[in-house]
Amino acid sequence: MSQWPRYEVFQQDKEGRPHQNAGSVHAPDAEMALQNARDVFVRRPNCLSLWVVPAAAIFAKTAQELAEDDTWQEELDSNTDQETYYVFQKQSQRRAMTYVTHVGEVEASSPAQALQRALQKYKGGTPYVWWVCPARAIFRSETADVESMFAPAHDKTFRMPNEYRVVAQMYEIRQGE
Amino acid sequence: MNPDLQHVLTEKLLALGDDELVLGHRDSEWAGHAPILEEDIAFGNVALDEMGHAMLWYNLRRDLTGDDPDRLVYFRDPAAYRNLQMVELPKGDWAFTIARQYLFDAAEGVFLAQLAHSQYWPLAEVAAKIGREELYHYRHSSNWVKRLGLGTAESHRRMQAALDELWPYTAQVFAPLPHERLLVEAGFVPDPNTLRSTWLTTVAPFLRESGLDVPAHGGDPAAGRDQHTEYLTPLLTDLQEVARYDPTAEW
Repeated sequence: MSQWPRYEVFQQDKEGRPHQNAGSVHAPDAEMALQNARDVFVRRPNCLSLWVVPAAAIFAKTAQELAEDDTWQEELDSNTDQETYYVFQKQSQRRAMTYVTHVGEVEASSPAQALQRALQKYKGGTPYVWWVCPARAIFRSETADVESMFAPAHDKTFRMPNEYRVVAQMYEIRQGE
Repeated sequence: MNPDLQHVLTEKLLALGDDELVLGHRDSEWAGHAPILEEDIAFGNVALDEMGHAMLWYNLRRDLTGDDPDRLVYFRDPAAYRNLQMVELPKGDWAFTIARQYLFDAAEGVFLAQLAHSQYWPLAEVAAKIGREELYHYRHSSNWVKRLGLGTAESHRRMQAALDELWPYTAQVFAPLPHERLLVEAGFVPDPNTLRSTWLTTVAPFLRESGLDVPAHGGDPAAGRDQHTEYLTPLLTDLQEVARYDPTAEW
C-alpha cells in the first residue's frame, strides 16, 4: 500500500490558549486526518478545537538553518496576490514545552515571504523553530463537534500505567525464584 | 413498577447491553491488526466505547435486579445471551467490520435520539450520555463507508459484498422483544415498528451516495434474540476464559 500523506495536528485545550502542535497522523484526506487526530491525541485530555494541516503545506525553518542560510528568501513585494499565512514557533526546549505554538498571522504571496514577514513581526524571544502555512490549508473542527468529539472524554475513568505496579511485581516474582 | 413491566424492562436492558458487549468484543479483535496505526487506535477506542456503553445498560439492569454485571458477562452461557446475530458474526475483512459498525451506529443513533425522551428517566439519561458519543461513532464509520464505497474497484466490491451479507440480519435489529409493547405503552421506549423506517431514511440514501446498492429486503421474519449463530459460543469462550479459570480472583 502506498503511504498516506502526513498531517500535522494542532490542539487547543482551553479557551484563549493558542493551538499547539500535538504530533502528526497519516490520513487519505483532511476529514479523515481530523478524525484520526481526535482518536490519537484527544481521547483523554481537554480539547476545544483541533486543526490538521498537510505536512507538505508547512514551510519550516530551524533557528540554526536561518542563521546559516538566507538563500531561501525572496524579494518582498506587496503587489502580487496576498493570502493569510499562519505562523507557529517552538519557543522553548524545556521538556514539557516542546510544542510548536500558533503565534499569529501574516499576509504574504508565498511561504518564503510569509516567513520573512513573520520573522519581522514576531521577533521577540529566541524561537527554535518557525513554521508557516497558508490559512486555507488548515482543516478545523467546528464548535458543534466539541460535544460528540471531545466532551465524552471527561466522563471516562482510566488508570495511569504505573498504577498496575507491573515492574514492582516482576521484582517480587524474580526475588522469589 | 408493576412486575410485568419490570420484567420486560430488564430483558430490554439485557438486549441493549449484550449488543454493545458482543460488538465491542468483535471490534477489539482488530487491536494490532487494523489497516493503519491511526485506525488501530481509533477502532480500539470504538471497541472500548461500546463496552463502556454495555456497562451502562447492565448497571441500569442491576439497579432493578441486583445482578452483578461482571457475573452476567463472564458466567452466563451463550443460550442466555440476547444480542443480535449481526454483532456476533466473525469480524471478516475491514469492509465487513465497517459495514456492520455503520449499520449498527445508524440504528443506535435512531433509537437513542428517541430514547432520550423516555418516561423512565434512567433510560433517558443513559441515552443522552451514549448518544453524543454515538454521533462520533457514526461519523467515523460513515466516513469509512463513503471512502471504501467510492474508493477502488476492490474496496467497492468488498463493501458491497459485506452489505449484501449483512443486510438480512438487519431485520432483527428493530424487531420487538416479547411483550415490548408494555414498555412502549408506558412511554419507556420508542415504538420499534417505526424505528426501522426512520433508520432506512438515513441509511439508504447514504449508501447510494457512497456508490453502493441497498440490498432488497428479504422479508424473512426476524429471528428471536434467543437464537444465535454458531459464532457466539467461541466468542464467549474467548471472552470468558480468564474469568472462569479463576472465578474468585480479585482484579
